[in-house]
Amino acid sequence: MNYSLTKTDFEKEKEKGVLFTAWKRLVPLMVEEKRAVTIAIVAILVSSAVTLVVPIIIARIIDVYIVSKNFQGVMTFSEILLVVFLVGLVSTYLQVKTLGGVGRRLLFNLRGKVFNKLQELPVAFFNQNKAGDLISRINNDTEKLNQFFAQALMQFIGNIVLILGTGIFLLAINLQLGLIALVPAVLALVATQLLSPWVKRTSLKSLQTLGSMSGEIQESINNFKVIVVFNRLGYFREKFRQANQLNYSASVSAGIASNVFNPIYGLASSLAQLVVLAIGILLISQGRFTIGLLVGFLLYVNSFYNPLRQLASVWPSLQLALAGLDRISQVLALESDLAPKPQETDCPLTEAESVLEFKNVFFQYVEGKDVLKDVNFKLDSGKTYALVGPTGGGKTTTASLMARLYDPSSGTVLLEGKDIRCWDPSERVKKIGFILQEPFLFTGTVRENILYGNGEYGEFSDEQFRQALEKMQLTKLLERFPDGLDTHIAVGGDAISLGQKQLIAFIRAALRSPDVLILDEATANIDTVTEKLLEEILKNLPAKTTKIIIAHRLNTIENADEIFFVNGGQVTNAGSMEQALDMLLHGKRQS
Amino acid sequence: MAKKQKNVSKQKSSTSPSLFGLMQRYWGIITLLIVLTIVANALSVAVPRIIAGAIDTYAAGSFSLEKIIVEFLAVSVGIFVFTYLQNIAQVLASERVARDMRSDIMAKISVQPFSYIESVTPAKLLTNLTADVDAVKTFVSLAISSLVASAFLIGAVAVLLLLMDWKLGLVVLAIMPFLGATIFFVLSRVRKLFIKSQEAIDWLNKVISESILGAALIRLLASQNQEYEKFLAANTQAKRVSLKILGLFASLVPIITFLTNLATLAIVLMGGHFVIVGAMSLGNFTAFNSYLAILIFPIMIIGFMSNVIAQAQASYGRILLVLGAPIEKKTGGLKAKLRGDIEVKNVSLNFGEKAVLKDISFSLKAGSKTAIIGPTAAGKTQLLYLLTGILPASVGEIFFDGKKLNEYDKESLHSQVGFVFQDSALFNLSLRENIAFSNTVKDENLEKAIVTAELQDFVEQLPEKLGTIVSERGTSLSGGQKQRIMLARALALDPKVLLLDDFTARVDTNTEGKILSNITKNYPKLTLISVTQKISAIEHYDQIILLMEGELLAKGTHDQLISTCPEYVQIYQSQRSTNQI
Repeated sequence: MNYSLTKTDFEKEKEKGVLFTAWKRLVPLMVEEKRAVTIAIVAILVSSAVTLVVPIIIARIIDVYIVSKNFQGVMTFSEILLVVFLVGLVSTYLQVKTLGGVGRRLLFNLRGKVFNKLQELPVAFFNQNKAGDLISRINNDTEKLNQFFAQALMQFIGNIVLILGTGIFLLAINLQLGLIALVPAVLALVATQLLSPWVKRTSLKSLQTLGSMSGEIQESINNFKVIVVFNRLGYFREKFRQANQLNYSASVSAGIASNVFNPIYGLASSLAQLVVLAIGILLISQGRFTIGLLVGFLLYVNSFYNPLRQLASVWPSLQLALAGLDRISQVLALESDLAPKPQETDCPLTEAESVLEFKNVFFQYVEGKDVLKDVNFKLDSGKTYALVGPTGGGKTTTASLMARLYDPSSGTVLLEGKDIRCWDPSERVKKIGFILQEPFLFTGTVRENILYGNGEYGEFSDEQFRQALEKMQLTKLLERFPDGLDTHIAVGGDAISLGQKQLIAFIRAALRSPDVLILDEATANIDTVTEKLLEEILKNLPAKTTKIIIAHRLNTIENADEIFFVNGGQVTNAGSMEQALDMLLHGKRQS
Repeated sequence: MAKKQKNVSKQKSSTSPSLFGLMQRYWGIITLLIVLTIVANALSVAVPRIIAGAIDTYAAGSFSLEKIIVEFLAVSVGIFVFTYLQNIAQVLASERVARDMRSDIMAKISVQPFSYIESVTPAKLLTNLTADVDAVKTFVSLAISSLVASAFLIGAVAVLLLLMDWKLGLVVLAIMPFLGATIFFVLSRVRKLFIKSQEAIDWLNKVISESILGAALIRLLASQNQEYEKFLAANTQAKRVSLKILGLFASLVPIITFLTNLATLAIVLMGGHFVIVGAMSLGNFTAFNSYLAILIFPIMIIGFMSNVIAQAQASYGRILLVLGAPIEKKTGGLKAKLRGDIEVKNVSLNFGEKAVLKDISFSLKAGSKTAIIGPTAAGKTQLLYLLTGILPASVGEIFFDGKKLNEYDKESLHSQVGFVFQDSALFNLSLRENIAFSNTVKDENLEKAIVTAELQDFVEQLPEKLGTIVSERGTSLSGGQKQRIMLARALALDPKVLLLDDFTARVDTNTEGKILSNITKNYPKLTLISVTQKISAIEHYDQIILLMEGELLAKGTHDQLISTCPEYVQIYQSQRSTNQI
């Protein structure tokens, strides 16, 4: 299955218009928010109506009462105005509150969906996409959506309603003058269309240079000690200087391009006012228009162009949000190919003579390159097995298939006689423990880390837990940590050594006492004295525990009941320790 | 390390970050920016005046269409040109500041010792270079011109209003302090929430990152639900804070609008009265309304900019901290060729309160082989770091060929001491550049290093051979392959001294044996210091050093230690049974 995330088809769809895409993407997300959206829409309509009606009232005050010097009328209409303003106060509050709430809940749900999807997808997805890319993709894209939903969405919808409303009013008051007032807006839109390829090109360039510059920064800071020791500071500084300079030039061009819209819309606004003023006065002189209407009309021109200007300024954030939404949808669209098989149909139960069995297993990470070729073996309950062989021979892959991190390309893996694909995940993981070559720890205490994914000890008091650890002889291992169980672990720091990480991973797995325990080079960086301790602990696990040990340090595998030699995608029974040694020493590396 | 951080925070309080100090360096472009901003805004203030003039002259019958059109058009084009120029100046100034700041920080980091990077942490430095620089950039690009424009507009409009009609002007201006107070009150609370919101986002990002980095573990334990609960807590917190912020904004926006509307009402009532009694012209009446609209905007802008400024101040403070950090005293300029005699004399290393190495002393001869063994967290890696000089010893001295380590020119020393780190670091470069990583590598040395590290078969089967680009976290490479590339990188220096940090941990026994004998054969004069777990490989070494909890427990040959050191015997016993096979 191909899980690699490539370029989005957002660019293609954009041809159909951003608004259309926005509509198509955002509307399905809002179905659950019908009530809030309805309230918001009513509030927007009312508050826009307020904005629109005020100039009319003012125009009327001027035309009817001020010109005729009727102050009583001015008073009456001022009272009306006050009421209108109060309505505006309430409706604007409702608008901001409900629409903003919709945006935030949307984001909350969307984040949840993405996270759930991430949890659903198999390990292959994470191997095909670099973790760093994935993290920045998900964090940045949701952040862009966040900014859009939290800030721009409100302006966006409010402005569109206002623009439409004012546009209609302008045309309704005086069709001719209204049409003329809209001409500069059309010109501005045309200019936008003409200029946007330039803007798009330069912004893309600037984003690319930004990306490669951050890459430079990360690489040189994260590997600082290597660069120092190999005298490469100068080289990386020069590389950075170039990337920095490139980013500077590209950003300046992008800035010059994208800043062109604001002045253009400003110019359109002034031109519209100019035209309305000139022609309005002309119409008044012909007796076809009034001063009050002209003043009101100018106010409308303002409230048409100001939101248009704002819209132009939030436009890029809409585009960014849509692109982000698109990339997130790409992740959401992926389906895991590791779902459990339906029990009824494809799950024949063969005789469970062995705890784990590989039957004609082939496996490939990439099409056409077999990593495992026709692997067959059976493992008996309670025995200890060792997988040995040169690096890159397929040991870790074999182990990964046992734990169903991957499914075979063809063939079957049977756990207790049942196709491993038929097992319910929560049941399967209780059976199989796997200590990974690269131990992973979460930020938190040692206790949290060794109890991670383990509900069994949740109710235990400190004392009970300590006794449980003691019983399994794990207490001694915890002495390697300055504050014992409460030692704090910060991920990414050098404060905790690889050996200590492996210890925690070991304790974590042992505490779960699985039926099958796989150790993949799990003690490579642990000293041999401590390793002896670990062996004792392994020996004291329940008798039915099957142990599978991958190691190249021979002493770790000397107690194995059976040894398998893994090389070139083949798994062969090596018989005795001597034979295995012989194969290891003389076996040609095939990978 | 903790101590260092304490010092750092002390510095923080004493340096008051001055963004104005920063701007002095760019006075030329910033003056230009300020001038352009003022011109552009002065022109936009003129627009309502022109309209008022047109209405009044029309009412008075002295209306000239051409004059209005010419004036209006000139002002419009002027606004267009100057706004755009102002925007360009903004872009130039802010990008230049960002570029210079980034290169200053990088230049500073590149002269710092490794211990500095460790104590400050790479993650923090990355934030300094990205988010902090961006915050200062936003300040330059937005805040400066907005503040200038706002101050100018408020002043100019206030004067114009008072000139047109001081009574009405005063009434309208009287509303402004209330507006200002509301905005500042709400925004100061919003700012606190913003900090909380950033914390929530950081938390959320951490949960997501760990769920990605720990993907394999999570699947092995089917602990997706546990992860989801962590995520839900963070996500809910993020939503809660952002809804709180929303609540504040939801009250702020309508209040501002309403207060402005009250001003409109005042204009209609009082102004209407004035026009009726003939104390005010109709044109001025409309101009009052237009100016009101101009006046509100700058007040809001100043409010919002106070956030930008606060953020930029904090960021700039953090950047200054990096730029102002003291540089370790320059080491000596001794560029002698190394023989390889090494002496470590009473060396201790402390990270804050914690002693990592305690009073270590030993010496070794050029061309000899020394092994360092000991349990997890004994300080073995740190001892190697001391020997390369990337960490300075807290107490004591290290001598190379009888001369103090810090008398040597660092570059010259590093080009003669090869270091194979425990964790692999691959750069996004070709395999050739990753191995011939230092700039002084000769072709024959590269070839010899590849052969010694048993990489030739691996290189042969790559599609582009040595030209293949290997990247960070390259999944196509096994742990052993990465480790061998690291070794080849160190050997390509043709070093006099080679430091191996647990090199054998990820390489299989067969390959390991071959590689070690290759090293002996191809680099006969090499002084070797190897951190390892395996006694069998080091039995014949000239010296074995046993470290435990930062203390040197014993030193000597295998035979000496086996008869004198119980801890060594214990380690030996733990491996013995295998050795006998």
